[in-house]
Amino acid sequence: MDFKQLNDIKNRFVTRSVGDELVIVPLSGNVAQMNRLFTLNETGKFIWENSDKCADNEAMVQLLTENFEVGQETALSDVETFLDKMNILLSNQ
Amino acid sequence: MFGQHQVQITVGGFIIRLFSKRQIRLDVGYIHFVCNQKKEPDILVECLEGVPEGILCGAELVFEAANTEKIFYTIYRTGTGLVFAVYDQYRQDEIQQFALLDDSLRQWKIWSKLVGDALEPLLFPMGAILFHYATLQGNAVMMHSSCIFDGKRGRLFSGFSGAGKSTISGLWVKAGSRMINDDRVIIRKEEDGYVAYNTPMYYTDEPRKTRLDTVFLISHSPENKIACRRDASAVTGIMAFSIQNNYDVRFVQHHLAFFSEMCLSVPVYDLGFVPDESVIKFIEENGV
Repeated sequence: MDFKQLNDIKNRFVTRSVGDELVIVPLSGNVAQMNRLFTLNETGKFIWENSDKCADNEAMVQLLTENFEVGQETALSDVETFLDKMNILLSNQ
Repeated sequence: MFGQHQVQITVGGFIIRLFSKRQIRLDVGYIHFVCNQKKEPDILVECLEGVPEGILCGAELVFEAANTEKIFYTIYRTGTGLVFAVYDQYRQDEIQQFALLDDSLRQWKIWSKLVGDALEPLLFPMGAILFHYATLQGNAVMMHSSCIFDGKRGRLFSGFSGAGKSTISGLWVKAGSRMINDDRVIIRKEEDGYVAYNTPMYYTDEPRKTRLDTVFLISHSPENKIACRRDASAVTGIMAFSIQNNYDVRFVQHHLAFFSEMCLSVPVYDLGFVPDESVIKFIEENGV
């Protein structure tokens, strides 16, 4: 999963901010997916909402370090964790 | 505009008017839901005979409601609205009814076979489908859940199939509470808060409702235990057990908005419970 792939699939999900988190619900053509709902924490929500501004991981790391009090290493780890979670989300589709 | 025969029912606070040139017959479960309110109906249902010609021409399949054993219904999108093909639950190779719902989600046409001299438009599962789509055009949702009122608080119990919804509501009834419903409940936002309504079942029952005070997401457990969910966790927890047709962005947005708002005033708890009367005392002692 990279940011281009993520941006390509985002329209298959509906989102809503609840507190600091983002709830993600997949659009689905059957009942099997109905109880598969996802939440992203504040960092994940930021990455989701800004993914279209980033061509690659490095760009997102840069954006995170500019907007949160985190170093490059933590930011990169957050990005990789986020993309792993998106892979799981996509594999459930 | 209405046919010769009319019947009006109120379910979940929604007034639903059915009309036809033919007689309209409803299952026993609907008897006490028939009403004569003079208010304009929220939902209009024209009941027609036979099979509509060419209704699926150019239609796009958007949703299939089926499990490993049965297919309940399929939904198609057409230029004029949504078309539902509802399957006979005993003869799965037969379509029991077709239905067309317009884009406002307020006007239905339901085609059924003539049985004797009457049409039966709300045969299972058509009635439940109609109620679900009524909630989508109002400030409401439909839940897989049981619900009781103990004279002070309305409590809703939801969870996976086999989690104990009927068991726990049965324990409350045994202790003197009033059953609202033990399977399918409509929740509406009203002026004074959230209200849980029963829906017609296969058995005769009167319309019931209660103010909703607490939601429990239940599971069996070796001991009674409770934990409060907050924010997104509460929203996803309860939404997972709502009745949803998530092929349309509008419908998902409706559910997300409804539950996000509801969870600000109605607390949601995970409840692990021992299936005996001890759980009632446990909940009361926790003041929820």
